[in-house]
Amino acid sequence: MTNGPEASREDVLEAFALEPNTAADTLSSYLRQYPQFARELVDLSRELDRTNPVDEAPMSPREMALVDAAWLRLAEGEAPALDDPFAALSALELGGLSRRLGVPRQVITAFLERRVVVGTIPAGFLQSLADAVRTTREHLAAILAIPVPALARSHKADGKPVSPPAVSFEQILVEAGVPSERRAELLSKVD
Amino acid sequence: MVRPLTRMTRDGKPYRRVEEIETLLEQLVSVSLDELLERSSISNRNDPRYIPSECLVHLIRGTRSDPSIRRFEGLYRNLLRRVLRSVPSPDSADGQTLSLTRARIQEKVVDRLADLLAADRREPSDRLDFFEVRFDAALANLRRDAQEQVWKEQNRYQSLVTDSEPGEFNAVLDSAVGQFDPFGVAEMQGQDYRSRLDAAIDTLPPDQIRIIQMLRRGVPIDSREDGVMTIAKALGRSEKTIRSHRDQAYAAIRAWIALEDGR
Repeated sequence: MTNGPEASREDVLEAFALEPNTAADTLSSYLRQYPQFARELVDLSRELDRTNPVDEAPMSPREMALVDAAWLRLAEGEAPALDDPFAALSALELGGLSRRLGVPRQVITAFLERRVVVGTIPAGFLQSLADAVRTTREHLAAILAIPVPALARSHKADGKPVSPPAVSFEQILVEAGVPSERRAELLSKVD
Repeated sequence: MVRPLTRMTRDGKPYRRVEEIETLLEQLVSVSLDELLERSSISNRNDPRYIPSECLVHLIRGTRSDPSIRRFEGLYRNLLRRVLRSVPSPDSADGQTLSLTRARIQEKVVDRLADLLAADRREPSDRLDFFEVRFDAALANLRRDAQEQVWKEQNRYQSLVTDSEPGEFNAVLDSAVGQFDPFGVAEMQGQDYRSRLDAAIDTLPPDQIRIIQMLRRGVPIDSREDGVMTIAKALGRSEKTIRSHRDQAYAAIRAWIALEDGR
């Protein structure tokens, strides 16, 4: 590590962190060379000394929410085609999706409009849908939880478009006229 | 051929991954996506199938050109989960203030790493090379940065009060705690004691934490020799002030640990 008046705080801290040995001599030497960053160097030395035991406990809901939020923020910045797996599909492909999943087109439209409460979608169906639109189940669930400002269906020019309230997956099936036997079959796809 | 790093040290030497990481990266090229995602979820470093975080950062950076987002999302989530686990947990902290401080630090560390990964995805740069060379050290620096911001938010930045000011130092404690060395005890105790000791230190004012850290790293409080770096010089305070704050810090640590023992 060379000395120099132009050394930025970040450069110095990064160089210190990469030293093979951050014991007393190294810390003292950096403190001598960069007294202007003394507090930061000592703080970093403490962080480098922290022991990190392996924590195999399941994530807390708060921790899971932090990871989800970080992912969503990033996913929102992705190109639309990557961000929203439905956006890349043509009308024809949407029709194909309906056939592949064995549900009426209305059900697919409800997903496009984000009218389905994500927690009510059976895991197995969500997985089939994710596979069909070539994404992960987690990503699809995250995407479906984001409201879309512009609805997939066109609406009358007068008056503002109003997003219909989200309802359960079962309710969507009922509204689309799916027979009760088929409904039961779809709702039993829990894994 | 694994993409070489481009960042240079201030001496003009290129950053290099350690050999084990290079070798593993070459092997991981032929691993299926499902296996990669499954192995990246392993957090136990002693597991033979564990993939070090240096590799995960490299793989995440390489997903930029993937047609599907699946690999990126899976690796990204697994890396962030590990990062959360490497920051002192707010859930294990007793005391509301400590818990709040730790929760804020955790959030900021995750946010900062997420920002760095997003920036690298938008426009590749050498900022993340550090994480491919020594992930734990790079993360330690993120934690330090987050802690600095949180301390500012919480107004914990009062500097050391000098020894001549009344009411700041309990002289009765002086003789009692002068010899108390929590780290001497730590050597003899297990991981549980050490994490409680860490929690106790986290509750101290920042400059007292620094005094403790410098003592731990063998930096002397004062010295008659000019060229020797001392705690008094580093913090710009008198030797007497440093000693009295060391004693206050030790007393607070001892009280915290005694309180914990009594629970």
